[in-house]
Order: sequence, then C-alpha cells, then structure tokens
Amino acid sequence: MTIVVVMEQVPDVAEELAIAPSGTDLDRDAISYVVNEYDEHALEEALLLAETSGDEVVAIGIDATGELDQALYTALAKGAQRAIKLTGDFEGTWLSTRTAARLLAPVIEELAPRLVLVGVQAPDDLDGQLAPTLAALLGWPHASVVVGSELVNGMVRVRKELWGGITMLLELALPAVLGIQAARQAPRYVPVSRVRQVMREASIEVRDVEVTSDLAPVPVRLRFPEETGQAELLTGSASEIADRLIELLRARGLL
Amino acid sequence: MLTTPERIAFVLVALLSLLLTAHGVSRLVRAIGRGQGRPRWSTFLRRVVPVSFEILLQRPIFRARPLVSLLHAGVFFAFVFYGLVNVLDVAEGFTGFSTLHRGGIAAAYNVVADLLSVAALVGILGLLVRRFGLRPFRFNDRVFLLPSVHFGIARDSAIVGGFILLHVGSRWIGQAVRIAESGRPDWSQPTASLVATLFSSWSDTALAAASHITWWLALGLILAFLPYFPYSKHIHLFMAPLNLILREESPLGRLEPPVTGDGTMGAERLEQLRWYQLLDAYACIMCNRCQDVCPAHGTGRALSPAALEINKRYYLNRNLSAFAGGASSPPLLEIAASKEAVWACTTCAACVRICPVGNRPMLDLIDMRHALVSRGDPIDPNLQAALESLARYGNSFGKPARQRARWAKELPFPIKDARKEPVEYVWFVGDFASFDPRMQENTKTVAQLFHAAGVDFGILYEDERNAGNDVRRVGEEGLFELLVEHNLAALEKAQFRAIVTTDPHTYNALKNEYPAYGLRVPVYHYTEILADLLERGVLRVQQPLAAAVTYHDPCYLGRYNRITGAPRRIIRALGLELREMPRHGANTYCCGAGGGQIWMDSGGQERPSEQRIREAVGLGDDLRYFVVSCPKDMAMYSDAVKTTGYEGRLTVIDVARLVATAVGIDGVARESVSVESEAR
Repeated sequence: MTIVVVMEQVPDVAEELAIAPSGTDLDRDAISYVVNEYDEHALEEALLLAETSGDEVVAIGIDATGELDQALYTALAKGAQRAIKLTGDFEGTWLSTRTAARLLAPVIEELAPRLVLVGVQAPDDLDGQLAPTLAALLGWPHASVVVGSELVNGMVRVRKELWGGITMLLELALPAVLGIQAARQAPRYVPVSRVRQVMREASIEVRDVEVTSDLAPVPVRLRFPEETGQAELLTGSASEIADRLIELLRARGLL
Repeated sequence: MLTTPERIAFVLVALLSLLLTAHGVSRLVRAIGRGQGRPRWSTFLRRVVPVSFEILLQRPIFRARPLVSLLHAGVFFAFVFYGLVNVLDVAEGFTGFSTLHRGGIAAAYNVVADLLSVAALVGILGLLVRRFGLRPFRFNDRVFLLPSVHFGIARDSAIVGGFILLHVGSRWIGQAVRIAESGRPDWSQPTASLVATLFSSWSDTALAAASHITWWLALGLILAFLPYFPYSKHIHLFMAPLNLILREESPLGRLEPPVTGDGTMGAERLEQLRWYQLLDAYACIMCNRCQDVCPAHGTGRALSPAALEINKRYYLNRNLSAFAGGASSPPLLEIAASKEAVWACTTCAACVRICPVGNRPMLDLIDMRHALVSRGDPIDPNLQAALESLARYGNSFGKPARQRARWAKELPFPIKDARKEPVEYVWFVGDFASFDPRMQENTKTVAQLFHAAGVDFGILYEDERNAGNDVRRVGEEGLFELLVEHNLAALEKAQFRAIVTTDPHTYNALKNEYPAYGLRVPVYHYTEILADLLERGVLRVQQPLAAAVTYHDPCYLGRYNRITGAPRRIIRALGLELREMPRHGANTYCCGAGGGQIWMDSGGQERPSEQRIREAVGLGDDLRYFVVSCPKDMAMYSDAVKTTGYEGRLTVIDVARLVATAVGIDGVARESVSVESEAR
C-alpha cells in the first residue's frame, strides 16, 4: 500500500528576500529554496509509519521553482520509494494553495494511497489550507495539526493538537489526509553520499499538468513589514544601566 | 648437564610447545589478515633499521612516565639479551658447555647477563608493585568494558609478570647454584656469586638437584608459557615493533578514505577495520597512557582509547578461531566502545601521539562514526543542524554564503577578490573567523596586519566553503567531498602562489587532505606569515609589550602539524614573557572543540577547555594573557574563562591582536585592544 507525502519548496528566509519589480511576487532570481519545514516532518512521519507497516512512500511535489529535484532526491535518499514531480507552465504565476491542491488531487487519486501526509502549513500557506482542500477534493477524512500517527486495524489513529497544548486522539477511516505539525521524532539526517548515490541511480517520474483558471485570488501587492523602532540593549554596570533606565523613563514622562 | 631422559623430555615438550605456539600465532596472523588492506613490504624494508634503532633506545616509551619507562627498560634490555642467554643455556644443558669461570668474551657475556638479570628482576618487581600495589589503572564508570576484561587485565598481568620473575629469577639463582657447585666465586657474575654464598653449606647432591630444577624452571617455563604467549599482552614484544615499523609515513592529519573492501563506509564490525587497527589490539600493552592524555576521559566522558584496544583484544582472544576462520564480529558498538564514547572523541590525536607501541585508537572511532553516519543512525541534533547547514550554505552557522565576507566591509580598505585578480596569497579565512562575531574582530586585525605589511593577498568571498576537516572527522565523507569539490573549484578560479589560513583545522585539511584531491600549493598558518613579517622587520614593534603570557598550541597546529615555533617567535618578538603550560607543543591538551565537538552538545559536563584554563592559571597570579592562534580556541576559551570564574584575571587573546597592539596598527584593532587593556 501507499503513503503519499506532498513536498513543497519555499524561499529560504536565511537569505535576504527581495520583491520583484512587478510588486506581486518575490524576486525569484535572488532567492534560493528549501523544503518547507513541516513537509520535512510529514516525510519523516511517513517514513516512520512505513517502517512498521511496509507501505511504499511516494514523495510528490509541484515543480514551481525548477529546483524541486534536489528535494525529491533527498526524500528518496531518506527512504521514499518513488518521487513524482508535476511540471507545467508556472513561470511568473503565484500558485495559490487551492490551485496547488487541484493540480495534486488527480495524481494522488491515481496513486490510490491509504494516507496522504502534508505539512500543516507553509510560509505561503500560513492558514494551512492544503491538507483540508486536498481532503475536500478527494472526498477523504482529514485531520490537521497532527503530532503523531499510527496505523491500527485499518484505521489511522492520530494525535492532534488543540489549544493550550491539549491533545486529542482521533481515529480516521482510510484513505485519509493528515496535516502534519511535527513527526514523532526529528527529521532524520541523510548523508550526502547517499543523496549523490540516489541521484545517480534513481529517477524522478515527471507528470505534465496544466493550470486551469479557477477561483484563486489574484495578488495585487507584496510588502515587507515596516520597521517599527528597535530594541535598545542596555549595557554597562548596574548603576549605569539604572541611570539610563531612569533617563529613558523621564524622557517619556513616566517618572 | 641434563640426563638422557631429561633431554628427550625437553625435546618432546619443546616440539609440542612450538607446535601449539605456531598454531596460536597462525590464527593470530589470519585474524589480523581479516582487516582491510595489506602491509607494504617496501615500508618494512625502509623502516626496519631506523625504527628498530628507536625501539632499542626505548624512545617511544620514554615519551612519558620516565620512572616506569626506566623499569621497563631494565626488563626490555634483559629480554633482548636473554635471547642469547636462553640459547646458550639450552646448549649447556645438552652439551655441558659452560661460560662459568671463563675469561675473554665469555666473561664479558657473563657480566652483561648477570647485571641485566638484576635489572630485569628490579624492573619487573617495580612494575608488579606498581600495578598490583599502587593500582594506577582505572577507567571511569562510564567506560564500556567487556566482562572478560575486568578480571582479564589483572590475570594477564600477573601471569606475564610472574613468568618474567620466575624465568629470570630461576636463571639467576641457577647461575648462583652452579657457582656454588664450582666452589669459588665467578668474578664475571658478581651478583650471582653473591647469591652463591647462600648455598655454601649445601651438599653436592643438593646443589646438583638445584641446578637441574633451576634449569627446568628457567627454560621449561618458556616452553610452558609459549603457547599462551600469543594470547597474552606479552605478544607486544613482537607486535609493537611490527606496528611501529609497518606504519606508513603519511601525515597524522591525513585520513585514508573510509571505504572498505565491500563498498560500505567506515567500520561497523572488526573485519571492516584496517589490518593495522587489528594489529593495534595485539600491540597494546594496556599501559593506559592514551587514557591519561585523553580530554574526553579526563572530563568524565565514556571514552577510553585504552579500553577500546583492550576490548578488541579480549574479544579477539575469546573468539579467535571463529574470527580467523572468517566469521563476522558483532558490531563494534557492542564489543569495543559505546556510541557515547564514539561521539566523545575530539580527534585531538593525543592518544596517537603518546602511544609507545604506535597504536591509533582515534582512527577506529572515526571509522565507527563513518559507519554510523552512513547507515543513517540518529546523530546529535546540533551536529545534524550544522551538517545540514554545511551542505546547504557551506558553513555551520546557517548563514548564506554571500554573508561570508561581510566582516571585510568594515575595513577601511578593500580586500582583493582572488577570483578576479592575481594575488600572492589566497587567504582561506575559515568558518569561525568569518562568521562568529567574536572572531570577526580578530579576522579584521589579521587583515589589517597583512595590509599594513603590504602582503599581496585576496580572499575567495562567497566561494569559500568550510574546508571540511571536522566534517570528515564526524564521519560525513560525502559532505566532506562536496566541500572539497566546491573549494577546489573556487581555488581553480584564482591565480596565487600559496594559501594562508587563520584556522588550524582548515590548515590541516588543505595541507594534508586536499593533496589527495589535487591541491598542490604551499599552505601557511597566519602565525607563520606574521612571524616572518616581524623578523624581516616589515612589521616593526613600536611599543614592546610587557606582560606574562602563556600560549595554547591548537591540536591541529602543534600536534598534527608541528607548527609550534612561529607563534612563540611572535610572542618573544613582541617582548612578552612566555610561560609554558606543562602540556605544550606536540603534547598540548585539547580545548574540546575538535572532531566536530564544537557542533555537539557538551551535556553540561566539565569541558577540557575549563581544565586548560586552570592549568594556565597555575602559572602565576601575574599571568595576564592566554594567547591563542585558532578561532575555535578563541570561542572555547573565552567561554571557559567565564565559566571557571577567571574572567578579568586572565584574558584570552588572539596572537594577531597582540601583534597589532605592539606594532601600532591604526583602526579597529588598536581600539579594541586598548579597550581590553584599560579594562584590566
């Protein structure tokens, strides 16, 4: 049986981000991509599930960046058995979560998995819509903010986080879609030599897909947060700090 | 003279003994042969004479513990000479030929044999008293030992010590008996003649019986001991010299590629170690000197290099026929060292340097890491983050490569881009010197010194990557190769004569590891360049510094690459008073950061760097500076002076900052040093 993991590449925020002249997108030439952190957890959870159940793990992603291969090869090196990338004419388009889900759903359906694991959110999907949208399109049950899962008696039993650290244990009929917040253990390290070996020996399946017009919102403007003042760090001896503190409070009319 | 039945008995027992011994030795050779690779006879031929000479002078042993080494020397010289003594004694038993009361060369032989017998007896008694009376050998509680080791070490030591005592003692007393039989003292055997006076009242029959008994004790004992010999630590007699002689003369800082014959990475089991790593187990004499100098063991961690070798030996001894026959060993983690121990090594190579028999337990640990990493065993989360960052950005700081040379922007002059214009030196700055904010000041100082001295240098900007020294030593060979490829491609773009680097770890990788990948240029440490600039008068000391300082040799500089002179020349040229810590030069003590430890969690335990600061503080209340020449040392010791409570009393300072102060470089460097000097 099959477990599908959806992998998305997102801009690496360690690098400096810039907005493209169009004003509606990041300057894609100046940024580099990393795998969405939550997708790494989804992959880890899938691999852990498969280690006990013997399922085949299929990593799948939309190659909106032209650099998805690296992420998929890494997934293969970590233990996924298949990797599929969806290619198409995405140049200059911002793929909304809904559009992404529409591209992914038919391919996932064809794979007939018993579980679909998706990162609970992504930098461009802070509202965490991918998992529920996929579930709706596929007509399968769904749980998000999942922090652990287990296949039991033809069901999947998941731990889902609620407000205030309360966890709820749920059972879902299969097939199901899970939005993974955290895998049971930290995503594993994969040695570079194994990634390189996989790049030589394994291959990534390619499916061409087409973006059809849908109800996706249209971005009008992208903006960085405005700087709103800076914190000042007080240093020096205790009395110096105290003097400075008094000065600051006085300046604001608080003393 | 032996009786005929005695002669027949001796010959039969000797044959049986030699047969059993040959069987044991052949199993041992086959077991060692299970290791990867093969010794090279050309190495043997080239080294046999000079190394044997070293061994005859007992040089490897006298590297530490002078008194114990002296006791050992007594036993050693006696044993070398006893080769001849035993042959002549057998001949005497069979033919009656005796050197007793003969002059000339026989007398000379007698004197030497007599005195060396006493030396051996004194030596072995001393060593036995030490081992069983003073009990200096202790492993900390966390060190993994095979169950058979606990009692085994004591038993083996007792058997070997007892054998030497009885063998040499019987021969010595036997000579006394024969002197008493002859009725007059033999001047060429002064000590035996002295003992002979004890037997003056014995009857002739009693003396004749004693002569036979002592002969059998001395020589029969050898026959009895021989079959046990290959399994005893006494086998070091052959294995240690072999280990020393067959050792390739490659630099300590060059690792062999960790690929075993079956294509797997590193060593998960005994047979995946190289042949000399198996030989190590038999060369080991269990002296624990390696453990004494190990910073991991010294700070209570689970690692003892000695225990590693001893465990290997005891596992092999107990399973020799199966292993020699081709059976696979259990994982090394179950028989040699715990995972905790494997990850505790700082790769400081103190164990390798100190070992009197040429063992390299550190290599086993690195090989075990390679096996762990390549089979995806979970690693320390901090280490994992560092490796992922290194793979992605080429540095362990999680910073984009573009930020690598950000420090250079704060200088009042531009630094040449070595990729774009020819330079004499490519300055390979290194990760810590480039990214760690505490180190960037030092880096700028070095740049200013080079600039002021008119050194023609440039850097590789964002194309420089971590050189990979410690990446290789945590066992991530693929990532190491990736980094090497990046760096070589970057260097390819540059036109230069030599490389200078700030970081001893980088220095080691570029100097010793990169040539295997095609790099063939001179590599210098910045202290070498600075020393040269000072000595040639290019940098002039304007204002000599008057302070007592000590200098810490980085492992990868002082021990691995023997660069100990240049930093000291600088310190003296600046007018500073240099006080050496007890452990310095090639015997330096690790700061605890090497081999990837700087990326791992120290678990809140005492760190070697803290012990080191206390060592420095012991040099006097007026010692002001703890001088370093390694960015990682700067980080480790800056922390350690704080955690040990010596902040304010001892200042950790990079040697370049002292140079900048003394030669009066304007700008960033001078300001920050003068701030420090005001603060004290």
